[in-house]
Amino acid sequence: MENRDEAPQPGVTGMVNDGAPADADVVARILGGDGEAFGILIRRYEPGLLRFATRMLGNPDAAADAVAESLVRAYRHLAQCRDPGRLRSWLYRITGNRCRSHLARRHTNDISLSDAPPLSDGSDTWAVLERGEQVALVERALAALPAEKREAFVLKHVEGMSYEEMAQVTGARIPTLKMRVHRAREALLAALEEVVR
Amino acid sequence: MSPIDPRLQEALDGERDPGDLTLDLREAYTRLTVATQMLKATPLLSVATRVMAEIRLGRPPVLNEGMARRLLHWWLGRPRAVTLRLRPVWTVALAAGLAAVLLIPWTNGGLTPGVAQGIANFVGHFPGARSVEVVGSFNDWSRGVLHLNDDDGDGIWHAEAVLPAGQHEYMFVVDGERWVPDPLAGRYVDDGFGAGQQNSLLIVRPASAQP
Repeated sequence: MENRDEAPQPGVTGMVNDGAPADADVVARILGGDGEAFGILIRRYEPGLLRFATRMLGNPDAAADAVAESLVRAYRHLAQCRDPGRLRSWLYRITGNRCRSHLARRHTNDISLSDAPPLSDGSDTWAVLERGEQVALVERALAALPAEKREAFVLKHVEGMSYEEMAQVTGARIPTLKMRVHRAREALLAALEEVVR
Repeated sequence: MSPIDPRLQEALDGERDPGDLTLDLREAYTRLTVATQMLKATPLLSVATRVMAEIRLGRPPVLNEGMARRLLHWWLGRPRAVTLRLRPVWTVALAAGLAAVLLIPWTNGGLTPGVAQGIANFVGHFPGARSVEVVGSFNDWSRGVLHLNDDDGDGIWHAEAVLPAGQHEYMFVVDGERWVPDPLAGRYVDDGFGAGQQNSLLIVRPASAQP
């Protein structure tokens, strides 16, 4: 499950494989007055940020709001980005903070899955569950995790980050993050086994 | 919820080959892996238009001094791949140029002695002097032709000149009025004016005879 083939990080390598400019070069262009260059960064990071926010908030519309607010905020505070070579971590950090703010406004860390289909009955097995049901089941299990564990699990296994990068995103220490990921796996596995038992 | 086997955690962290797991652990590994794959689906959304419209309304971010320093530090510190594409004819020209640089002997300070010429070095210690020049048989004892320099102000003046190979007499002229022999010359000859004064003697060897 370890993500070993994650996409190259433009800011680190200096240049992505297709010859696109590195993050720091794009940041320099924007800070030099070329605001339209921010579109390059949006195209580069929007899919991952939307996926992350959707998994954190459980709702695509709320995720879109959080990501849009995060990107606008990132643009306005771009000059405060301490290391343009780690722009991806910075954007995820801002988005994670926005997601936490959204969750706090709901007065609960649990995410709503009212739109998700109901759980299957116990006679089903994992193998025979339809794909849509499986996805809903996994989403429901993820939603049941506390926000910190959910965030750690998603960053690690969905976004494919290393623990070092996760530490940059969350501000938490690496041992703490490992513990959160381990606990999230246990909870997720338990939830999945409960359903297919 | 019970703790899962550490071997399963290691496999999920990429620290252990999943093939080494027992059957039940491998089943749990597969279950979590499949679940994770389901979560990787990217939502069919885009906020690009909305974000770009919003940022066009505001002022662009400003590059401050600290950020400029960080950007410069990042740019200078990162390794970068450089691709050099050369036409074969350029490659030959480049090789010829390099050979010329490597094979042609270096000249001394831009001075190129001809046949039967050599390079003379004049050095004198004249602390506090405003100017020092050298006059001699090679320039008909004319002033204003060969000036010594003391660029760092340490009182040591020096100059180089291409002179005909052979023996030359010379004197330093300090501050335009004081004629003094070179104390480091080692060889001196009488100046022939009957006052017991001596000129410094310089022997220039042809450059072609020097190693």
